[in-house]
Amino acid sequence: MTGGGLVLQSELLPQGLDVSFKVAPAALVLGMLGVFLLVGFVFRVADTEDMWVAGRSIGNLENGMAIGANWMSAASYLGMAAQIALLGFYGLAFVVGWTTGYFILLIFMAAQMRRFGKYTAPDFVGDRFNSDTARGIAAVTTFLIAFVYAIGQARGMALVGLYIFGDLGFAGFSGYQAMVIFMMAITVGYLTLSGMLGATKNMAVQYVILIVAFLAGMYVVGFSQGYSTLLPQIEYGMLLSELGSEFTEPFASSGPYLWIATCFSLVVGTCGLPHVLVRFYTVENERTARWSTVTGLFFICLLYLAAPAYTAFGTRLYDTNIGATYGDPGMAGSTADVLVVLAAQLAALPQWFVGLVAAGGIAAAIATTAGLFITGSSAISHDIYTNLINPDATQRQQILVGRLGIILLGVLTTLAALDPAAPIAALVSYAFSLAGSVLFPMFFLGLWWENTNREGALAGMTTGLTVWMIPMINEVLPTYITSSGEPFIPQLAQMVPAIGSALVAVPIVFAVTIVVSMVTDEPPLETKRVVRQCHSPEPMGQQQAAEDAVTDGGETPADD
Amino acid sequence: MPDNNTHDTTDEPTATDGGVAGQAGQSHRDTNYLSAEVNLLNPSTPFMRDHLRVIWTGFVIWAILVFGPILLTVVAPDVMTSTMPVIEFPLHYFLVAIGAPGGALILSAWYARKRDQLDAKYGIDHSASTGSAGGEEAAAADGGVAE
Repeated sequence: MTGGGLVLQSELLPQGLDVSFKVAPAALVLGMLGVFLLVGFVFRVADTEDMWVAGRSIGNLENGMAIGANWMSAASYLGMAAQIALLGFYGLAFVVGWTTGYFILLIFMAAQMRRFGKYTAPDFVGDRFNSDTARGIAAVTTFLIAFVYAIGQARGMALVGLYIFGDLGFAGFSGYQAMVIFMMAITVGYLTLSGMLGATKNMAVQYVILIVAFLAGMYVVGFSQGYSTLLPQIEYGMLLSELGSEFTEPFASSGPYLWIATCFSLVVGTCGLPHVLVRFYTVENERTARWSTVTGLFFICLLYLAAPAYTAFGTRLYDTNIGATYGDPGMAGSTADVLVVLAAQLAALPQWFVGLVAAGGIAAAIATTAGLFITGSSAISHDIYTNLINPDATQRQQILVGRLGIILLGVLTTLAALDPAAPIAALVSYAFSLAGSVLFPMFFLGLWWENTNREGALAGMTTGLTVWMIPMINEVLPTYITSSGEPFIPQLAQMVPAIGSALVAVPIVFAVTIVVSMVTDEPPLETKRVVRQCHSPEPMGQQQAAEDAVTDGGETPADD
Repeated sequence: MPDNNTHDTTDEPTATDGGVAGQAGQSHRDTNYLSAEVNLLNPSTPFMRDHLRVIWTGFVIWAILVFGPILLTVVAPDVMTSTMPVIEFPLHYFLVAIGAPGGALILSAWYARKRDQLDAKYGIDHSASTGSAGGEEAAAADGGVAE
């Protein structure tokens, strides 16, 4: 790693970014994290009692904000602007995929999931298909998603960290690499503190802070440069003709197939991501589940409609202050990943203000990573260790395994992020492809076709994992182990791109699951009744899951 | 609380789709949802049939919204990249960057409303089962004050 450090130093140093330690921005980062922790602490009691005892009483506005906060990671905050700036029209596939996916989630899954009452992917898969092996595969998938997703976050927080904390370069690591290690240490520290605290209250506050930081950045940059006034989300249209033609030209950087594959993957990934589903757990009823998806999408759109405008401003500022964005040398990937911060710096705004925008990006990345690590480690401790390996595990042993899981994730993520294979948004997209290929078909078929059975699910998930692995080995592995970083088989990379592999995987997994389910025995009636209960329009009690409603003989007499 | 589950065999769904509220409500009370098969392509209750009609309508509009502009840009690049009046966006850029996310948002609200109307048609009341609307408001207000 130290050998590669020298090369990296030049590669992953954003052009034009002021790399030095700054007091006010550093205080803002710590302040934001402090507020998250404080709110979690204040509502700690309320959370455990209100949420679990008095009922799932989170309303739709609050849950909508929680959905928005969950969604706002370094990929939306920083990575999307990078894709739009560097790849132009193709970058919009991320804007579209990461917003419109919520509609599919809403019409096919949100309320049904609320009724099913199981909100971790392994729990759903294990209970729906009555199989500990299926649960195990879902847990491994959840762990992999957390890991791949976190690599992108680590890259984002380290690049922005360079602006706030400067070049820490120690022990032969480059400034960027040292920052990865430093930021991951902060993340694990935050995680240790936040793990004990409340969830949803925290998320709503988190959303407000992050969206304010982002929108303030966009509005002030646009206004101070004379690009926009009240509605920059539309006004940037007039700036487009002044940017390089690559910014808007369709298919300048990639063809329609890759665009559609990427967009499709992000849509199905949205519906398969474990940390998105968990948000429907805390709502009071299925109607709130539906409406909070709508408000959640609204809060997400606030960021997603602003991001292209912000990017246009940033690209223009880069053109005029540093050099042409496109062509040779052009804007580097690492520069694009901090464009949101760089734009504020180039607009000559006060340091504390640039720091606010940067702090928002880092706080988004840290909070998301903390959540991912908890999901990933609970998959290990709860679903794999306790359910499969040691059913007699004591509470102590479970907690120990959970902590080891977090450390394992932290170390793996740090190592993979020292020399990341791709920009933030692409790294995160690999996780979406995985969620879309393996978990989405299980959720969808599991909820919408009662005859989907254990054998079908096992065959389908194995197929999904395999199809996802192929382009990862073909395209992403070479960037770590070969000097050129070229895919092993270029044609395969074109047909099944890692970033959009779910377009190929989803139809195959559906076909495999359906065919295997048809040629094997139907699932037990009990399971079918649970699925039917998920679709019944009959309201369910606040504490009820589909399973209870079905097995509760007093209320619904069995008819066989 | 399910009010009518006295059927002891698989009931055939009565074919009273599209009736007035009274009829729909009656067919709802006559249906035992736990014995009606769930199959996306083959809805087995009047409610499911109505619900799926809404779902598929939304899905088709969604698919056009998301993948329509990109396909049109492939077919007719000149028309799609022409500059729009006043706001000066190239048409394809506007439809994708603003049309798709904004459209999905409107579509989501449309679906949630439609689903509420379906509930009304079948005489289903969600507020009765939870009854904590007031508590929810209070909780949200608390959050605002403490912060």
